[in-house]
Amino acid sequence: MRSKINFYLIEYALNALLREKYKSFFIMSIFTLLTFLLTSVFFITNSIKYELQSTVDTLPQIIVQKIKAGRHYDIDESVVDDVLDIAGVDDAVARVWGYYYFENAGVNFSIVGIDAYEKQYKKSFENIIEDFDFATLEQTPSMVVGRGVKEIMKQSYYDEYFNFIKPDGSLKRVDVAGVFDGQTQLESNDMIVMPKETLKEIFGMDEMQATDIVVKVKNPQEVSTVAAKIKLIYPDTRIITTQDLQISYQNIFDYKSGIFLALFVIAIFTFFIIIYDKASGLSSEEKREIGILKAIGWKIDDILKEKFYEAFILSLFAYLLGVILALLYVYLFQAPILRDIFVGYSQLKTSFELPFIFDLHTLFLVFFLSVPVYVAAIIIPSWKIATLEADEVIR
Amino acid sequence: MILTPEVLAIFILNTIFAFFATIAFVLSVKIFLHWNIKSVSQSQYKLEKQSYLSATIIKYIFAIKVPLFLFFIFTLDKISKVITGAMCGAGVVDATPYGTYLLILKVINLYVFAYWLMLNSVDMKNEEQPYTKLKFGIYIIAFFLLMGELVLEGVMFNSIDIDKMVSCCGTIYSSTASSYISNIFSIDTGMLLFLFYGTYVLIMLFALLKNKYLFSIANLFFIIISIIAIIVFFGTYIYQLPTHHCPFCFLQKDYYYVGYLIYIFLFLGTFYGVIVAFIDAKKEQMQRDTKISLVFNTLLVLLLSAYPLIYYIKNGVWL
Repeated sequence: MRSKINFYLIEYALNALLREKYKSFFIMSIFTLLTFLLTSVFFITNSIKYELQSTVDTLPQIIVQKIKAGRHYDIDESVVDDVLDIAGVDDAVARVWGYYYFENAGVNFSIVGIDAYEKQYKKSFENIIEDFDFATLEQTPSMVVGRGVKEIMKQSYYDEYFNFIKPDGSLKRVDVAGVFDGQTQLESNDMIVMPKETLKEIFGMDEMQATDIVVKVKNPQEVSTVAAKIKLIYPDTRIITTQDLQISYQNIFDYKSGIFLALFVIAIFTFFIIIYDKASGLSSEEKREIGILKAIGWKIDDILKEKFYEAFILSLFAYLLGVILALLYVYLFQAPILRDIFVGYSQLKTSFELPFIFDLHTLFLVFFLSVPVYVAAIIIPSWKIATLEADEVIR
Repeated sequence: MILTPEVLAIFILNTIFAFFATIAFVLSVKIFLHWNIKSVSQSQYKLEKQSYLSATIIKYIFAIKVPLFLFFIFTLDKISKVITGAMCGAGVVDATPYGTYLLILKVINLYVFAYWLMLNSVDMKNEEQPYTKLKFGIYIIAFFLLMGELVLEGVMFNSIDIDKMVSCCGTIYSSTASSYISNIFSIDTGMLLFLFYGTYVLIMLFALLKNKYLFSIANLFFIIISIIAIIVFFGTYIYQLPTHHCPFCFLQKDYYYVGYLIYIFLFLGTFYGVIVAFIDAKKEQMQRDTKISLVFNTLLVLLLSAYPLIYYIKNGVWL
């Protein structure tokens, strides 16, 4: 612990690794592959988490849903007025939105209804209202669609308009007025925006009802108090705050990478056994080497130390290589194949760039999962080698 | 139950520790019972070889445990974002009845293992190997401490309930709280600072007098008094907030991770200080240990004192 690093020993260890080219190369490639896989998975989850987190930040602070028979139900718009009376509430807006299943392509569109003259709860909607004239959109029923939706519709030869099937079976023709880009790809790819009136007709909703109500609170620290007050006035509602969402996102992704890690445990113990086996098997060449070292006066401690230097150099190098490869794979090539595990297989899969998030924590995590395991695997084999008898080996 | 990748990683390493620690334990018991350096028998020869294996294993465990301890604190901070109410590690530690004991046990284990390594290095330098029996005896105790820690860690992470509300550090380390921690706030600040700087001066004095026992005791006292002083007095200046006393929050990014520096200084300074009384090392080594202890203790005192002083220079008032 006290002794200084012996550079001659490091040089010797490096040379020893190079002497055993094939063995070192074999171990190194497996090790690199393992760290590479692990790091990639963590990088991908980090990036997606960041992307979702920034989506959550743009979401309303409180969402009020009506619950009937344990299920989400349309809420009366009059609730908005009561919510606005609560002290600290800046704004409350009734939202109309939902999913429309387009059978032909087997995809779900998310449709959002907005009014041109009310205050928008999302910045991106304000941009849409600026770009498109909603007053005219209301007169001839039309909509603004996301890029992905546009493509899917085109495949079914819906270029200028789209026929929605209403709950009563009749058709509702809505024109496509334009295409928009959202701030984050994740939310806007499968989205359609249209006037509230049109949407209520498509979904067959009552005039005075809305899907849910979003509430804006001036002071973010009062969010939980306001949420509690709404719950008190309307016990039949479910109140969701951004904090709840953030925590559940964190949990989902911890869970996903946790499952991956649980599988990885098997891989790493297999690796442990392979290394143990490789390190135990000594060629006659190596045996002679140990014998000569001992004969010229190396102590058991010295040989052990040299073996650990070897292991440490090898594992550190493989670790760094794995991390660098993962960086390239995830951020340069956008992690083909692997990221599908986390994003899902929907037809209207959102195409998004993984943002570059450099998290030191992840690097430590991968380090602890790789280097100590390798070093642990060579403890006993190294000790066996180091305690060989010089005379037995050389003979 | 909480199973983030970080917790899983800690569990995996704990499994490896448990496996190797048990091997070392079995060997240590054998060595402790049958060691006889004067004997030339086959069995003694075998024991000598085995002593290398256990020493290597213990070195390995310690070498991983030190960075892992920092990683553990880091993990607590991360989990605190998931648990309702917790804002830093303190909330997570307080979330289960085991947290506090686990943390204390972890710190004790760090000291014990570091002591073992010192003993080992002194022992190996001496041809007679006078401490072999002693060091493996100590390891037998350390093994149970280690296993206790591993089990407690498993139990703690298992019993964390994500949906349960926990206390924030603001309430745990508050003078109005009714917990046992709040008792320390009844100590007069002036008195506490006198004790803190007084102990530091005593450490210097005993180092000059070359009385290693008093030096060691003063260092032992310094650990406790420093932690209390950090909670009661210095913490408030790090946060620049007279009501915030948490000893965990300054481990976070907002305070430039200064907590890690503080605790590392505290550990190194007091460890080398306490150790001189426990090991009959050669004179040069003792002087070196004393010097290291003094350097790190001084760094700690300077670092901690800098916060109130800079605050006073900037604002012209004390908190």
